[in-house]
Amino acid sequence: MNPPPQKATVQVTRRFSASAERVFDAWLDPSTAGKWLFATPTGKMVKVKIDARVGGSYLIVEQRDGVDVEHVGEYLEIDRPRRLVFTLKVPKYSQENTKLTIEIRALDSGCELTLTHEGVLPDYIASTTSGWNMILDHLAGTL
Amino acid sequence: MLSASASLQSTWIALADPTRRSILERLSRGEARVTEIASPYSMSLNAVSKHIRVLERARLIRRRRAGREHFLSFNPDPLTSAASWIEEQRSLWMSRLDALDALLQAQNAAAAKTPKRKDKSR
Repeated sequence: MNPPPQKATVQVTRRFSASAERVFDAWLDPSTAGKWLFATPTGKMVKVKIDARVGGSYLIVEQRDGVDVEHVGEYLEIDRPRRLVFTLKVPKYSQENTKLTIEIRALDSGCELTLTHEGVLPDYIASTTSGWNMILDHLAGTL
Repeated sequence: MLSASASLQSTWIALADPTRRSILERLSRGEARVTEIASPYSMSLNAVSKHIRVLERARLIRRRRAGREHFLSFNPDPLTSAASWIEEQRSLWMSRLDALDALLQAQNAAAAKTPKRKDKSR
């Protein structure tokens, strides 16, 4: 018997001093997204293509240790600046699509973002987590 | 021996079913016989045994034999590693959002130094 893969959901909430619009746009504007979303300290961003419409797709490619790592997905919902839903797949690690839901609530000052990552597979994560931690430590240090 | 990811997978599979979760809940209150575990459920002993086997494969329950009796007990270890894995994912995304916040603030600082265009949207 081959049971369907079971998946986990991860949710985080964070406040920003920037407006909901700016935080929302940071996910879809290629020059901004390329700087933080899939950027790593030692990697070289080689391609950021974002077709920001429902049904549109994105391709973010970073070269890491000479290997191109592609991040691909499709936008399922775009409701600026409240809600953004898209799929994420990193073919180098897994053929599984995961789903991200970004919800942004405007506050008197700034906004609050809630991120839900559904369908996170342990094997996919196991191969990417250590890299991510390194990347983010670096980013936090340089910005 | 299962790899870390395979054992996480078997933990999710085991926990995905409400009957198995309630079996675990019962066992978390103490050791029990297979027949005692089966009695509250309107299903055959065979069906309950299948659930128990899934839980055993996921190492969420242990079986002890005393003569003819089989006693089951709850093993929380896999839950702990699943929880810590989830926690890792949460902190991973939190770090990404920290990076985004830092980037937006850096853009503010840069804009303040070279005010090319004033955004009077407020």
